[in-house]
Amino acid sequence: MTATGIALRTDGVGKRYRKGWALRDCTLTLPAGGVTALVGPNGAGKTTLLRLVVGLLTPSTGTVEVLGHDVTASTPQTLSRVGFLAQDHPLYKRFTVAEMLRFGRACNLRFDQKLAERRLARLGIPLDRRAGALSGGQQAQVALALALAKRPDLLVLDEPVASLDPLARHEFLQVLMGAVAEGGVSILFSSHVVHELERVCDHLVVLNHGRVTLTGDIDTLLAEHRLLVGPRTATDVDRADTVVQAVHSDRHTTLLVRDRALPTAPGWQAQPVALEDLVLAYLRHPCGPDAATTPEVPA
Amino acid sequence: MTWLIWRQHRTEVGVLGLLVGLFGIALLVLGTQAHDLFPGGPARCAGQAAVDAACAASFRLLDEDYGYVENLLAAFYLVPVVVGAFLGAPLLARELEDGTWQLAWTQAVPRMRWLAAKLVALAGVTVALTGTFTAVLTWFRQPFDAWEGRFQYDAFDLEGLVPVAYALFAFAVATAAGAILRRSLPAFGVAFGAFLAARMSVALVARPAYATPLTAMQPVPVGGTNARTGPGVADWMIERGYADATGHRLSSTEYHELQDAADRAGTNLNQFLHARGVQEFGVYHPADRFWTFQLIEAALFVAVAAVLIGVVVWRVRRRMI
Repeated sequence: MTATGIALRTDGVGKRYRKGWALRDCTLTLPAGGVTALVGPNGAGKTTLLRLVVGLLTPSTGTVEVLGHDVTASTPQTLSRVGFLAQDHPLYKRFTVAEMLRFGRACNLRFDQKLAERRLARLGIPLDRRAGALSGGQQAQVALALALAKRPDLLVLDEPVASLDPLARHEFLQVLMGAVAEGGVSILFSSHVVHELERVCDHLVVLNHGRVTLTGDIDTLLAEHRLLVGPRTATDVDRADTVVQAVHSDRHTTLLVRDRALPTAPGWQAQPVALEDLVLAYLRHPCGPDAATTPEVPA
Repeated sequence: MTWLIWRQHRTEVGVLGLLVGLFGIALLVLGTQAHDLFPGGPARCAGQAAVDAACAASFRLLDEDYGYVENLLAAFYLVPVVVGAFLGAPLLARELEDGTWQLAWTQAVPRMRWLAAKLVALAGVTVALTGTFTAVLTWFRQPFDAWEGRFQYDAFDLEGLVPVAYALFAFAVATAAGAILRRSLPAFGVAFGAFLAARMSVALVARPAYATPLTAMQPVPVGGTNARTGPGVADWMIERGYADATGHRLSSTEYHELQDAADRAGTNLNQFLHARGVQEFGVYHPADRFWTFQLIEAALFVAVAAVLIGVVVWRVRRRMI
């Protein structure tokens, strides 16, 4: 953990490719020691943001600071403090697992070979097998073991479980959470799978169309948001600025509001909102509560 | 890094080393036998084919026994591109197509150091393999060079400095194409095409213009054109033809008109031309310009290679990959 207590800070970060902006005006602060999920649909800019965080890309605008250091400098010191697991967990397919570990040792300032070997032995992954001959789940585990053996302060994972079967996914997350429990590492991972998040992470960033639409501690976000169910209505005028999403059925209107639990209007019932529904609501309304006030949504 | 580079590229290095080794040994064996035809060494017979009887005999034997090998040497025009492109194409492209660039560049070795190490190591292997092979080939050709000179395409393009420069050029094209196309095989194809195009246009168009060629003029001899006093066989003849007494070069039509006139007059053509003061001319580069031309051509290819490597470095540095 760092003295500042901040694992990652981005300020006004944008990335423009030839085709246009992949990410715009992204300002985030992630506390050290936490597990943060980056959620968004395909093409939302998740991979771009993660590559910016680990210094694989340079931002077109703004700054990215990891553990208090500008990542664009890419010095051995900053690189060695960040672990990255890219999408589809690439490995050198013709290397054996042992050679992958040797690669890690050769290319890092610190590399805990014993730790990696222990992890792989526990998973029954033979060191003399070629990486390309392993199953997808095993390849992901090798890549994770490599990243963790760097003993990074920040571990960034891009869709780590997207290509895994349910069992491999479970095992992968188990290893990952074990590493978190051992302490000292902050984790930022992207996912488009919304369920299971609550169990795994404590911080949430929702990215949509290249913009951050929601960010915060999950418990706080759940406390700030609630569902209001009442008679069907065109709009809830008093609270227009707090409504994230309005859904109308024949007789009822359900509003997702971010009103920090103000007293409920007469005739309306308040309910807590599930994390999955919260995320989905923000994904449907790309610009957050301010732009989501047009309540005339047909049932 | 050394271990990583060796582990990643040992297949290419091994295959190329084996090929170069096999062909090199074959050339050494055949070359030793060919050299043995010249008891005093082939250099002593340079330009002596028509003068020294012993040398003439040696050259005749050389042609009979090893002439076929000399014709096969044309295949080695491709050695620089095979070596250079085979090593350059996967340098970045393989990492990009497998996604492993994200693995390589998030370890503690900064990407510029990674790139510098790879470029130096693989360009070094390119130079070493092509250089060794060229040294053997240059030695092998000594008897042939003594006979025919070193300025013809089948000698100049295979000897001295230029093959190494061609290989570096192919290496740089393949690396740059790999960085842009992100795939090894198309990068190899691009390097191959660029190599052929650059080599041909330089050899045919640029090379004759590295220096101002000399012009030799002499009256058409009465007894025919065989008695040579002008440019020798080792010189690089670029153009030859006839000029009138004032030095004006005759076009082929004008020359044919003279031929017809000689026929009508019923005289021998050579006597007819000689009587009118017609001269033979030859435009040529003398043989002693060999190393100057080698240096110029090598510098040309190395300079283009350096520019292309600069583009690669710039792209990686700007993180355009």
